[in-house]
Amino acid sequence: MVWLIWILLGAAGSAAADFATDVRPILARRCWGCHGPALHKSDLRLDRRADALHGGESGIPAIVPGNSKVSLLIRYVSGADPKLVMPPAGPRLTPAEVETLRQWIDAGAKWPGAEPNAPLAAKPDPRLSHWAFQPLRAAPALPPVRDTRWVRNPIDAFILARLETKGWRPAPPAAPPDLLRRIYVDLTGLPPSLAEQDRFRGDWDSLAQELLQQPAHAERWARHWLDVVRYGDTNGYERDDVKPKVWKYRDYVIRSLQADKPFNQFVIEQLAGDELPNANAETLLATGFLRLGPWDDEPADPAEDRFDQLDDILNATAQGFLGLTLACARCHNHKFEPLTTKDYYGMIAVFNGLERPRKGRTELDRPIGTWPEIDRDNAREEQINKLREAARTAWLRSGKSVMPPAAAAAFLQPAKDRDEAAKKLVKDFTRKLDEELAALPVEEEVKRLRRETPELERAYFLEERSKQPPATHILIRGKATSPGPEVPPSAPLVVAAHAPPVFTPAPRSSGRRLGLARWIASRENPLTARVIVNRVWQWHFGEGLVRTANDFGVMGDKPSHPELLDWLAVWFMDNGWSLRKLHALILSSNTYRMAKTGNQAYAAEDPENRLWWRAPYRRLEAEAILDSALAVSGKLNRTLYGEFVYPEVPREALEGSSDPDKVWKSFSEEQASRRAVYYIVKRSLLVPLMEVLDVCDTARPAARRQTTSVAPQALQLFNGGFMNRQARHLAERLRREAGAEPAAQIEMAYRLALARPPKPTERDAMISFLRTGTLEELCRVILNLNEFAYTN
Amino acid sequence: MKTRRDFLWQTGGGFAGIALLDLLQRDQALAADSILAPKRPHFPAKAKRAVFLFMNGAPSQVDTFDPKPELTRRNGEPYKGPLAVGSNGRPVGYLMQSPFAFAPRGKSGLPISDLFPHTAKFADDLCVIRSMYTDTAAHASGCLQMNTGSIFLGKPSMGSWVTYGLGTDNQSLPAFVVMTDPRGGPIGSASNWTAGYMPAAYQGTLFRSGKAPLLNLQPPAGVTDQTQRQSLDLLKQLNEQHLAEHAAESELSARIASYELAYRMQMEAAAVVDLSRESAATRARYGLDDPLTADFGRKCLMTRRLLEKGVRFIQLYSGGGHIEDTWDGHNDCINNHRLHAGETDRPIAALIEDLKATGLWDETLLLWGGEFGRTPTSEGVGKPGRDHDWHGFSMWLAGAGVKGGQAIGATDELGFAAVEDRVHVSDLHATLLHLLGMDHTKLTYFYQGFNQRLTGVRGEIVGKALV
Repeated sequence: MVWLIWILLGAAGSAAADFATDVRPILARRCWGCHGPALHKSDLRLDRRADALHGGESGIPAIVPGNSKVSLLIRYVSGADPKLVMPPAGPRLTPAEVETLRQWIDAGAKWPGAEPNAPLAAKPDPRLSHWAFQPLRAAPALPPVRDTRWVRNPIDAFILARLETKGWRPAPPAAPPDLLRRIYVDLTGLPPSLAEQDRFRGDWDSLAQELLQQPAHAERWARHWLDVVRYGDTNGYERDDVKPKVWKYRDYVIRSLQADKPFNQFVIEQLAGDELPNANAETLLATGFLRLGPWDDEPADPAEDRFDQLDDILNATAQGFLGLTLACARCHNHKFEPLTTKDYYGMIAVFNGLERPRKGRTELDRPIGTWPEIDRDNAREEQINKLREAARTAWLRSGKSVMPPAAAAAFLQPAKDRDEAAKKLVKDFTRKLDEELAALPVEEEVKRLRRETPELERAYFLEERSKQPPATHILIRGKATSPGPEVPPSAPLVVAAHAPPVFTPAPRSSGRRLGLARWIASRENPLTARVIVNRVWQWHFGEGLVRTANDFGVMGDKPSHPELLDWLAVWFMDNGWSLRKLHALILSSNTYRMAKTGNQAYAAEDPENRLWWRAPYRRLEAEAILDSALAVSGKLNRTLYGEFVYPEVPREALEGSSDPDKVWKSFSEEQASRRAVYYIVKRSLLVPLMEVLDVCDTARPAARRQTTSVAPQALQLFNGGFMNRQARHLAERLRREAGAEPAAQIEMAYRLALARPPKPTERDAMISFLRTGTLEELCRVILNLNEFAYTN
Repeated sequence: MKTRRDFLWQTGGGFAGIALLDLLQRDQALAADSILAPKRPHFPAKAKRAVFLFMNGAPSQVDTFDPKPELTRRNGEPYKGPLAVGSNGRPVGYLMQSPFAFAPRGKSGLPISDLFPHTAKFADDLCVIRSMYTDTAAHASGCLQMNTGSIFLGKPSMGSWVTYGLGTDNQSLPAFVVMTDPRGGPIGSASNWTAGYMPAAYQGTLFRSGKAPLLNLQPPAGVTDQTQRQSLDLLKQLNEQHLAEHAAESELSARIASYELAYRMQMEAAAVVDLSRESAATRARYGLDDPLTADFGRKCLMTRRLLEKGVRFIQLYSGGGHIEDTWDGHNDCINNHRLHAGETDRPIAALIEDLKATGLWDETLLLWGGEFGRTPTSEGVGKPGRDHDWHGFSMWLAGAGVKGGQAIGATDELGFAAVEDRVHVSDLHATLLHLLGMDHTKLTYFYQGFNQRLTGVRGEIVGKALV
């Protein structure tokens, strides 16, 4: 009887799910008060079909015809989401009412009489005309200037034109010693040596060309890029373990800069080096980029954690390459930018094929090479495992082992079937068995197999094992457990509308990352070239033309010289995306070569020097200060590449660690005297000296370094082990190379540290100091000078 | 715009001119360019400074501030509630009563367990929140959330936010001091006092007992104080000559000032840790004579002295490293808590007593608690350990602006989950900022495309906790 009623009711409900008689009254009575003809809360109207299908400001459809499960309307009125129940006031919808809506939607949400209209939430968006979203076409024309003599290259024309509109003059050229140190420090992170100072004959362009070829340049500029890609050697959180061989990614960056790899290729390799037709060890290494972020080894919620890791990749990609804060659109449409949750999850879909390492803590590095090489390697290892397994079983069954028979039997049992006694036997005899197995003839065969196919290098990267990644859904309010409509892979519409990425399956994977990467690295993309030329400008001048290097959106800074930025971006692409050519262009400008001369009137009006009326003044980054001190003391270890090194961290600084005895490796001065780009970047324990010198945070892509001067920094630089060691080495060097005469020692010390001789007043002060003070103490003072820590 | 610094430099004299000013003015003058210069709160503040007594590892609520008679009645029964497993998939186990007696304390009758006989004397000053909850059951993300408001790495800590918002009154001591346990730091280490995406100047500075409380506080071996001073004078002289050619560079003068502040810090920090001038009675009250309490006692006594010097935010860790070296009593919660409460109870009481005696009580906010709580169940029969419980736990507030002698909120009858007046960690943060004169929705830092907050998108002030 009960069954019969249920069936009848069900059937009746189904038959009655008619818009006009059943659905419309519910909507009108319970929804339209806020989402109807008069009020449109959250830009949502449920009195018009087009609006309901489009959704309100969240960008998520309220109704998905044919699929009530992912329709927000049902989610909210049914109480499936306890935090958001609609209607917000008054009684809840009855189960029968919800059921009516559900059936109507599942039957296609037929809405007789609905007229097409532009949904309210899809109204024209003035943000779409934002400068950075506009395509880059031809290079802007050079502006006319009055003082044509000052214009050495087009950069100068743009800079000078703006100054002339105010009637201002650029600062005079920097004095040659200043410019020499500026160029050396900027390009290589090291001051010019005495020989380099002596050798220089005044040809600045050749000097720049020469330095740009040096590995020291690649090392310094690789560190700039590592800031952008959130580089760290450990995963952070509780265990904060070393990610094995992740440092090979760092070396990949250095090698790429050394080779002047075209930037568009550099982008593609990092996002999709494994999907390239010519994938090889180098391009696989590059994809380490995807795995550089921190990850929690004991995540609060594994389902959320999966999306947190994808979010990390998406954010690094969006900010690093595109200057977009797309990650803000994870839970709702971006509050300020024309970026939607659809954009966000469309990009998540690009990366969703990447498999999370199944054993997060142990499954770490993998072989790299061409795919045939890797296949060969995998097949060989599989074969070796099979051979060993067979030999092991045969050995255990043979009775030849010296172990007690019960132990052999325990080993033969599957691990899950072992009782306590068997587990103990296995534990006690594992080493014995390993010894016996190592002596079996099969090991000869293993050796032979290993000889036949060369060992591949290993590296740390993610993999994608299928051409068909899992479906990606918009997650309602960003919750992993609240899937909304499915989305295909895409790039943010605001920049991709006129030339969207093309996604075609790769031989072994979805090909989605390659599609996105090619789109990012294409001339059609309005952001990529602008973003990188701005970064390069910032790394040369301390500030970018856009001062928010990771944010080119509506909320970002407006460019001080928009035409110059566009001109540089187009020029950069026209010149094969060559960073080296871009550096050379910038360095050859008079803009770069200005002095730092102040001007009270200009400073009053433009205190931030946004018009570039003089050379900027900026403190060196932590790495450049440390590297320079080592170069001056003569102790810089110029070894290139390789595993990270542990610099000195005083024991006291380890006390804050949960494992103070194990967290840091002992310190070797020779190793620690390498360039700081090779220092280990441990997320839970930054090197104190680097930290006080404002090394960047590694949790997310860093747009720029800060500059702060506080007492603890002075304490470390003046009293700390590193600078005092370099002061001692420098003193020894001066005695050795300049002799015993104080004046000569002082002269050489200044030339080494500041690339200039001391002024008479300076020399007198130092000579007077040396009457009571030691040369070591004097050297400590010199290494702490403002002038040493700043660019010229 | 003229700053105090411009005045000083223009009145000629640089540091020589400063000799005319008294010490505090001198500090302020040196700090005029500093990123740590004092700032006004959003509205008149109840508290000027805060101390976070961090009970690292997570103390058990049912053994400390949340008595549960029903748990005692059903002691030993298998747990039949809605939770399937505890942290890391551990079995939830059997209900385990607290072995510690609770008694009503003070005039208010606030119940506090026998673990804290000394702190209990100040029951009328404590505002216990019994209905705390957080979003994670793991120590790393739990400590991060309690300290930074987020389970993710890279966010600035509470102390950094406070320092960012208020600066500091004393430039020759760190604005935000952290003192860890001799057994080690908390899980996540420096991520818990990092300035995250803010400038490093706002991060917590590790402070130790002993002669060298700060890293590199003393001149290197072989350098006397006289040569140190002479070296700094030469540095200053050369830097000032250089500055004369680049007069417009405030960064350069700030850097010059930082060396002078460092020199003053050397003396001032050493003086703070010199406890020899404290009376024997005071030392005894803080438990310095007893090996059990000596370490935390020294920290509490230094805390009082740092507060007297105007330090803005101090965080003390009880427990360090892992498991039983912290409050993480998985194996034997009873003896674990006896140990860690025993180490901290007397010193904390002495700190409260002194703050009340000196009047600092009315300007200082105290906060006590760990990253989450512990289950009312044991981890196994005959194993008196308790697992992590993030659904409900207790913390207390005391001091300036706090309404003491009360318990806010409630957990369920067994003490598992907060059910009444639930207080999320972000609500606690909002309340703390409020007491320090800041609106948590207005204390923002622009980063990654939007205005970041300590409280993220959450945070309701716990009105019942306020006077």
